[in-house]
Amino acid sequence: MTGIDVDRDLCQGHARCAALVPELFDLDDDGYSVVRPGREAIPDGDEEALDRALLAVENCPEQAIRVEPHA
Amino acid sequence: MQVENRAEGGRGLGEFDFHGRALDEIFGDYREMHERCPVGRSSRYGGFTFVAKLEDIFAAEQSPEVFSVAPSMLLPAFGTDVPMIPIDIDPPAHTAYRRLLLPLFTPRALDELTPGLRATAHELAASVAAADVVDVSTAFARPLPTIVFSRFCGFPERDWPRFDGWVDDIIYTRTEDPERAFAAGDAVRAYFDELLAERRGGEPRNDLIGVLLEAEVEGRPLTNDELISYCYLLFVAGLDTTAWAIRASLWYLARTPAAQTRLRAEPDLIPAAAEEFLRTLSPVQGMARTCTADAVVGGRELKAGERVVLLFGAGNRDPDAFDGPDEIRFDRRKNRHLAFGAGIHRCLGSNLGRRELVVGLEELLRAVPAFAAEDPSEPWHGVGPLTLRIGGHEGR
Repeated sequence: MTGIDVDRDLCQGHARCAALVPELFDLDDDGYSVVRPGREAIPDGDEEALDRALLAVENCPEQAIRVEPHA
Repeated sequence: MQVENRAEGGRGLGEFDFHGRALDEIFGDYREMHERCPVGRSSRYGGFTFVAKLEDIFAAEQSPEVFSVAPSMLLPAFGTDVPMIPIDIDPPAHTAYRRLLLPLFTPRALDELTPGLRATAHELAASVAAADVVDVSTAFARPLPTIVFSRFCGFPERDWPRFDGWVDDIIYTRTEDPERAFAAGDAVRAYFDELLAERRGGEPRNDLIGVLLEAEVEGRPLTNDELISYCYLLFVAGLDTTAWAIRASLWYLARTPAAQTRLRAEPDLIPAAAEEFLRTLSPVQGMARTCTADAVVGGRELKAGERVVLLFGAGNRDPDAFDGPDEIRFDRRKNRHLAFGAGIHRCLGSNLGRRELVVGLEELLRAVPAFAAEDPSEPWHGVGPLTLRIGGHEGR
């Protein structure tokens, strides 16, 4: 499993993740990023979801998104 | 020619400038910085240290306790010595001011104004399409944000004809003639003083001015001075920047027929193209900070009190951050650019600016046949004339 996490202290509401990868990221009422409920973990082997999550990582100006293997 | 002059000892990085005609050759300056001087000193505007590397700029933007926005993010001043709320305010006061308008600028909130934006863009694009030769700055790039943003803020239509002149004096004339910029700044402050008085006596409305009139910080309403300062910021931040971004995108497209053809055939690429235009031709090439303590940036020691200019435009062309940094690539996958800054002062209107640029380009490219630059001497930057010949290419 690979976890997706947004560091809410770093997020500044650029909203790039929600624009580029809306199936994984949403925004709260102030425009800060949240991982969509139920999408916090990418199953092993789901290469497409992993690639989409990494697209968000690569376009987050603040480097607030972490995509890391879960133990 | 000017590049040759510099090689012969003319204007070098020691007199680096990021406004006015200096923008003509600024991408060459950035290349020089990335090659040999990513942090350096310029004697302009009282002297400042420039920072050119993308990661150094992000690090400074994310350290507001060391890189203060006092006395102002603008260098030189934007026609006023009064700090603009919220961009010229440091934490903790900054946080409450900024939070007031955050919910109104989210992509979801902006969906509400998108139909009106599209209708306005459609109408303006039709007037461009009907012309043979047209200045699209005056016909499209400037009026689109004037109409859309003014409605959003609550700046009455009767006043719009005065706006371009004030913007020109405050933003463009300031480097040559600060007195004229300050006179315009005084006029704009007086204008908002009157408008706010009028609004207080009228029916409540759900525009930004209406929200600010009802808003509270630390359990109290905003003072009149705070309201004027916030309105002033909206005025100088929301009109010219978007106009520049639209004009610069059209400047590029007018000179690049293949890119026009591609975006007409594949309009789904327009949002990615907009990111590239914002990255390479950004309206905001740099913003200033003041060090509150000694700091080290890119291996260079900065002293407390030193003025620093974070060169977003240089970071956006940093070869360590972007492959082919000077090329506009619609299929660029990784695009962490700095067109809207970063950290706690990330442009509040970034999502509105993007929406206006994307919808504006969509409507214009849909309505207007192939266009070409009529006057090759017109620069990439600013909001001055951009003269296009419509239907100027074969295969329209």
